[in-house]
Amino acid sequence: MDKVLIIGGGIAGMEAAGQLLKLGYEPVIAEKEDHLGGHVAGWHKLFPDMMDASALIEQLASKLDGATVYLRTRVAYMNRLKDGYSVMLSNGTGLVCRAVLIASGFRLFDAAKKEEYGYGVYDHVITNSDLEAWFNGVEDFRVPENPRHIAFVHCVGSRDLKAGNPQCSKVCCMTAIKQAIEMKEKFPDAEIWCFYMDLRLFGKKYEDFYINAQRDHGIHFVRGRVSEVGEDIDGRVVLKAEDTLAGTQVKLKADLLVLMAGMLCNEDTATIASMVRAAVDSDGFMRSRDNIYRINESNRPGIFFAGACTGTKTVPETVAEARAAALDIHNYLSGND
Amino acid sequence: MRERFASGFDPFVLPFLIGFFFVIGYCILGIVRIMFQLSREDRRMFLLSLITPTTALKNIWDIFANCLLHVKLWKRNKVLGFMHSSIAFGWFMLIVLGHIEVMLYCPGRIHLFYYPIFFNYFVAENESTIGGAVLFFLMDFFLLLVLAGIALAIIKRVRSRIFGMRRTTRPSMLDRVGLYSLWAIFPLRLLAESFTAHISGGSFLTIPANWVFRQFLGNDLHMLPTWWAYSLALCVFMLVLPFTRYMHIPAEMMLIPMRNAGLKIRHARKGFARVEVLSCPGCGVCIDACPMSVKKANLKDCTVYLNRQLRRGNEKRIEEISDKCLLCGKCEALCQVGVEGPALRIAQRERRKYGFSQDYSGIDVAPMAAAAKGAKVLYFSGCMTRLTPSVGKAVCSLLQKAGVDYVWADRDEGLCCGRPMLTAGRTEQARQLIRKNEEMILGSGAGTLLLSCPICYKIFTEEYNLPGVRVVNYVTFFNELVEQGMLKLEKGDLFYVYHDPCELGRGCGIYEEPRKLLGRAAGITEAPKNRAESICCGGSLGSLTLDFQHREAMTLNALKNLYESKADAIATACPLCLATFSRYSERPVRDIAEVLDAQSHV
Repeated sequence: MDKVLIIGGGIAGMEAAGQLLKLGYEPVIAEKEDHLGGHVAGWHKLFPDMMDASALIEQLASKLDGATVYLRTRVAYMNRLKDGYSVMLSNGTGLVCRAVLIASGFRLFDAAKKEEYGYGVYDHVITNSDLEAWFNGVEDFRVPENPRHIAFVHCVGSRDLKAGNPQCSKVCCMTAIKQAIEMKEKFPDAEIWCFYMDLRLFGKKYEDFYINAQRDHGIHFVRGRVSEVGEDIDGRVVLKAEDTLAGTQVKLKADLLVLMAGMLCNEDTATIASMVRAAVDSDGFMRSRDNIYRINESNRPGIFFAGACTGTKTVPETVAEARAAALDIHNYLSGND
Repeated sequence: MRERFASGFDPFVLPFLIGFFFVIGYCILGIVRIMFQLSREDRRMFLLSLITPTTALKNIWDIFANCLLHVKLWKRNKVLGFMHSSIAFGWFMLIVLGHIEVMLYCPGRIHLFYYPIFFNYFVAENESTIGGAVLFFLMDFFLLLVLAGIALAIIKRVRSRIFGMRRTTRPSMLDRVGLYSLWAIFPLRLLAESFTAHISGGSFLTIPANWVFRQFLGNDLHMLPTWWAYSLALCVFMLVLPFTRYMHIPAEMMLIPMRNAGLKIRHARKGFARVEVLSCPGCGVCIDACPMSVKKANLKDCTVYLNRQLRRGNEKRIEEISDKCLLCGKCEALCQVGVEGPALRIAQRERRKYGFSQDYSGIDVAPMAAAAKGAKVLYFSGCMTRLTPSVGKAVCSLLQKAGVDYVWADRDEGLCCGRPMLTAGRTEQARQLIRKNEEMILGSGAGTLLLSCPICYKIFTEEYNLPGVRVVNYVTFFNELVEQGMLKLEKGDLFYVYHDPCELGRGCGIYEEPRKLLGRAAGITEAPKNRAESICCGGSLGSLTLDFQHREAMTLNALKNLYESKADAIATACPLCLATFSRYSERPVRDIAEVLDAQSHV
């Protein structure tokens, strides 16, 4: 039976492994963290159905019976053979497989690099992932007891040449709206503000969320970037921004500021790519054969991609891509190409 | 001693005379034009300085040391220093000795400009007399010196790397004509004097050469054509001189007295600026110095090319180069002649006409002044510190620990210091902002103005009029607090490399104080390029057109220099450097205030 190495045990790696098992292969997942599920495992609820992220992970994990999973394991090296790859994992396991699926995902932009927002400097500035962790019950002293004013800043480290990341992270607009609604539900008296450049609500039911947020929850949307963030004597965050629709300057004191940190290519992507001489794109993500029809394929035979290693993706996109990659691998291994 | 020709003339001197009178005439006209371009008070100041004994002496010494001996260049690069000073000083001595010879042996001919130059052709002197032997020896010695310089120049043209220069300028067409004629002058002089040595005498160089040539030539037919060639080479060099980089030879002699008189650039094309542009020798030191030159696309945007385009009057390129520059000032710091690249560019930017100009005169500073009242020390953080909140927070924490009576003037509302407007050439807007800030600061009643941004610090010290207020940079202020025992620091284990921000280092000349201060809280190592040679972080507000991709390459290059120090982390004293570096750095980047804050206790 053919072994297939899957680099990364996030939702893409898990879904692909489950599908490959059904197709009769032996998937081997190498995950660098101590748990499966990647970023989604740290999330609370997923839009647009507000499904529990843990429920998705459970579903994916339930289909992994028979798959080999190595946690806290990285790829030490990978060599091209005549027909396949010889791989050494950091836990000492060696394996030979004809196909490798790279599902190494993304990393979150380090919000401290946008100094003007004061992440790590002011007491009440957190990121989207910090907030999800707090929703999941992780204690966070930065979230006040009973916040009266909460501000969300979109596009932190996305679509920002100065931060070195020109592309859109796709999910943050919707995440901000989702989190704003969740916060409003937790703190009905709080006033919530979202500062955005554009709202990119392209997916199914996303627009409904936006309308709900405004109509039912009274969340304020301000089109304009936050220019600087200060702190007043009480430790509250002071935001200065421009409302480009009203053409006025806005100054807002908030008890909590949430930064929508964007998606960047994973740091390990380049290392893995260089082992098999797979091409890396100008944005730092993996380069697919093309971006329309063969997103799952690399320029090397037997190397496949799934999920956010080739660009920013939403959860449903990632899962669909993982399934497609499993089928691509099956076709490749059974010579149906 | 005898004169060979009673007439004291031969037609071969004519080319030399044509070139000579052309250059002299051109320079006199140029001086007159520039004098008229100066403003009335500048002209008065300049003329007065010429007759003030101390400045006059300084002028003579500076011209001697810089134009002839190239003292500054020696300090930087010994081989280049030798090359330039051997040509300049050697040639100067040949001319001086020529005049001494004429004055000693045929004083009646001194009014003929060509006599000292072609002395050996016209006068047959015997080296057996002591005077002749010494003079001829000296003439040959200096000729040898010049020839050695020329030989180095030729090697440098072929392989500039041997001389420690990665890149040099691409000479223009006329520059090449000037260059080759300059190279030709001295070998031709050696040949001409050698052919004449058995008649007119010579020394250790010319007599053996004469003997060698006589072994196979056997007649004197080559003599006159070689003197013609020598004269023609001189003629060509002098005719093209005004239109080549060699114009720096006469122009620098004008630049030094003007600078010593205290003149400033007031117009991008006229007066003092014109003299600076003409004084550029086109050596290309600024190409390697320029932080933009890490990208090949920007190679032709450094000061040497600005000067070239200013000479040619290529408006499009002049604007492009002027707008692109980061104004880091490194070209000026390394320039042997002292061409003020940044000031030239700002003067050029001032010439632009904008369709729309902001008006700040209506801003009400009363609320800001009210917020600034009531403390001895007024802390003005500036826009850049407000965008890097960690710096402002650390400064305030240190002030509190030291028990300083202070108020953060622009914590809530504040105006820009005006420096970005000034560097963009929008002087009027800058003046408006300066007046507003002056009003706010003087109204606060504080005796000390504390600044944590060197961009603000530079304009506050240079352009603001704040009687009774001490303007102080935070590195100076914190050093004082430590020395007075108000701030207690504990030395940490980390090693920092200090990055000199352009505006604080080259801009304000503050190099030692930040190192002293940082040394109290941490270990210090140095980067290979530091102090006046520090590389701009690439984030400078000076550039109007440079995009992020080009800036990124510069930031990475500047970081590479800092990494070479093997320090654990990078420290700087400018919020803009901090923000720029921390986006790309592999090692932690901290402001000096943050380092101090972590190492201080109450």
